[in-house]
Amino acid sequence: MILPIGPIHPGLKEPLRLKLKTQGEKVISAQIDYGYVHRGIERVMQGKTWQKAIYLSERVCGICSYIHTQTFAETFEKIAGEQVPLRAQYLRVLTNELDRIQSHLLANSTYFKALEHETLFMYMLALREPVMDAIELLTGNRVNMGWNVVGGVRMDAQESHLKSIMEIITDLEKEYPRYVEMFDQGPLLGLRSKDVGKMSREDAIKARAVGPIGRASGIKHDWREDHPTYHDHLDFETIWRKDGDNYARTMNRFDEITVSIDLIKQVIENIPPGDVRKKVDILAGYADWRNEAPRGEVSYMIETNGNLIQNISIRTPSIMNIDACAKYMLQDVATVADAVATYASVDPCIACTERVVIVDESGKKKDVEGIHNLELS
Amino acid sequence: MSSVIWYLYEFARKSWAESFAGAKTNPEIMETPDRFRDFPQVIPENCIACGACTAACPAPKAIKLVRSEDNSHEEGITYPVINTRGCIRCGFCAEVCPTDPKALLCGENHLIREEFTILPVEKTFTIDDYLCIRCRKCMNTCPVEGAIFEEDNKIIIDKAKCISCGECLKTCPVKGAVKGIYVFNVQEQKQIIQLVVNTLEKRIEEEEENIKQLEGGEVFKVDLPIDGLVEAARNILDNDDLILDIIQKMTDRLKMRIITWDHGKCNDCRLCVKDCPSGAITYTKEGGVQRNADKCLRCSVCYQTCPFGVVGYYVARFLLDEPQLEGGVIRITVKASQLPQGAG
Amino acid sequence: MVRSLKDIIRSSSIHVCLINTGGCNGCDIEVVALLSPRYDLEQYGIYVHNNPREADVILVTGAVTEQWVEKLRRIYTKAPEPKIVVALGNCPLTGDVFNQEGGSVYAPVSDFIPVAAEVSGCPPRPSEILAAILSVAPGAIAARGREKK
Repeated sequence: MILPIGPIHPGLKEPLRLKLKTQGEKVISAQIDYGYVHRGIERVMQGKTWQKAIYLSERVCGICSYIHTQTFAETFEKIAGEQVPLRAQYLRVLTNELDRIQSHLLANSTYFKALEHETLFMYMLALREPVMDAIELLTGNRVNMGWNVVGGVRMDAQESHLKSIMEIITDLEKEYPRYVEMFDQGPLLGLRSKDVGKMSREDAIKARAVGPIGRASGIKHDWREDHPTYHDHLDFETIWRKDGDNYARTMNRFDEITVSIDLIKQVIENIPPGDVRKKVDILAGYADWRNEAPRGEVSYMIETNGNLIQNISIRTPSIMNIDACAKYMLQDVATVADAVATYASVDPCIACTERVVIVDESGKKKDVEGIHNLELS
Repeated sequence: MSSVIWYLYEFARKSWAESFAGAKTNPEIMETPDRFRDFPQVIPENCIACGACTAACPAPKAIKLVRSEDNSHEEGITYPVINTRGCIRCGFCAEVCPTDPKALLCGENHLIREEFTILPVEKTFTIDDYLCIRCRKCMNTCPVEGAIFEEDNKIIIDKAKCISCGECLKTCPVKGAVKGIYVFNVQEQKQIIQLVVNTLEKRIEEEEENIKQLEGGEVFKVDLPIDGLVEAARNILDNDDLILDIIQKMTDRLKMRIITWDHGKCNDCRLCVKDCPSGAITYTKEGGVQRNADKCLRCSVCYQTCPFGVVGYYVARFLLDEPQLEGGVIRITVKASQLPQGAG
Repeated sequence: MVRSLKDIIRSSSIHVCLINTGGCNGCDIEVVALLSPRYDLEQYGIYVHNNPREADVILVTGAVTEQWVEKLRRIYTKAPEPKIVVALGNCPLTGDVFNQEGGSVYAPVSDFIPVAAEVSGCPPRPSEILAAILSVAPGAIAARGREKK
């Protein structure tokens, strides 16, 4: 039978319909319906100056809102052929890694909630709050930070801010191995996580899985390796695993938090003095730029006429990851509860995915059966 | 079993028991850090009603300028009102606010240096140094301190500080010395300019026979009502202010050069074919000398070269009578060129 | 007697259903942050269940997208009486930045279902959400309960 889950369901935080084809308790295959939160952001952005559009790009997704503005700003900087001052680059890395930590902690807490392990769910959220404080301290807002502008960042970080962020990060580093151990050693959690929702490397490549989900399946690839700031000034190591199950994905995120903590320490110790913003003239032209969001690769393709945005296209990681989940992970899962946990383990972010509406010629919205099966050309 | 022991171990911690027994909300959670950007705070006395905040605001329903009622001894003041149901707390309005002290406060944004406040506006203003008479009226009326300044005996508008209120344009006594340039819809503006030029050209071509009769100092006058032109321009871009602005600027500045060709006088000497810089004049045995009007630059080299007076060269100037879209007429004046003829 | 007892119980045990009708997800994660030990929503007797059939409070975030126009009304009818709707964030109030030319949103939410209380901000801080819910929810639910009788 077909078991529909969502769009409003106790197990889901965001609207999406999951159709599980079940045989008894066993889940044979799954299908996903998107389209509940399509707001037409790309269309709204057209014909706007970057000052207005950057706040829209921030609201593509609330959890990884930071990386969207950074990618947006860096695309414009690429069109202008300029690089922002080094201090601004360091501050961008700092905020990016703080954002990554809170996003990974939230993702893992959602996974534990899906496993109905309330204790770790609460612990993860308790760990996350000081990081949110650090973000608010630095940028002035918790979620939609309004921190990036084309040409740098809006405010300079005072010495006192860096000091308190360092304290928060040191506390986090001290505390959180205990919870990693709880997950790693906890026997029930291991039973529920290991060998559940497996995706092989070949399948991950076929499904174009990106980010921690792809890396947990053996695709050793992180866009931070190619980013000029990380590449030239910071030491960092790509975390990857071979197993490709729920356990690997969750542990991958835990280990990436360690890397992020290390990066933040490097940034705070080595941050150079100087300007945080410079004037960048908006030139006419086209550019694309990609960055590593907490969930994987996010790419922006922007065409401007020297003042306004003429065309913009945003590609977010969640669409590929949710796709990979539906196609390869949710095949022959033992129980429905495991299927929900597997779905939560890919860290789905629905607000990101809604980029496309398929319209037939009369202008009506069209339902396409299995939209995720469409070939991307 | 081992997991049960694990949880017992977790619960047996003293700190856990303490926090379980004394659970209450930490008052700290209501506190906000120094940098927290709350809804912008408005100080109406400082506001100069420039509208920079409303133009800059990325949220469509967040900010509105209102004017309080006049009372017996003073005029009402204008100031922005923040609608908290629409405001996204980005602080951009405080960043662009040009007054000192600021009329809008929001977090720490106002500490940003002024050269970075880039204001998204419809129009930018520049001063044409050639026409400016240095009367400094615009400097006196400008509501922003230091937005118009004098340097090397030139009056210059600082784009970073300008709020595009248009006061300088209104007070300027010289027509065209201060220019408001629309920065949006550049492509459509180009199309409208193209349209105006093509229409004027066509109108003059219709009168070619009359123009050919012109002698030395004579002028030929013809009128073009702009109703049809405006209608076509509105199809390209429905913005009457912009269309009027473009037509007025064009008629003020445009000088159209007209080449006429009298094939009857041509003796096929082909001097002009060689001299034409754009290759617009060609010669074939069957057709004789032919001029391609699309390639022609109207540079008048052929007019100066031709020893037989085949080529006529005239200059047309335009004036928009009554600068308004309804019932406006473009007066076209065509005059023979003063250049020496047949010299080469 | 029974009525006042019901009032007390209703005001101390509030079940919340969170509906994202097309926003950036920021308000939703602030609600999740409210569950964290630091804010501890459950000590006030508020439970976030995401189940409309047992909800006292429907928490709407997000500007209404095309898919939600009908579904939102349907979900509202499924919640048992007495119920109140709290609009959370700017999206359900005015449509926020999406409510511009080209956007496909149908804000505000009050066009579709009656809204009892609103929390503005994009997104509001957890403490602001907490203050707003606590100031309005218990009294409003108790009042709706009396109305029906």
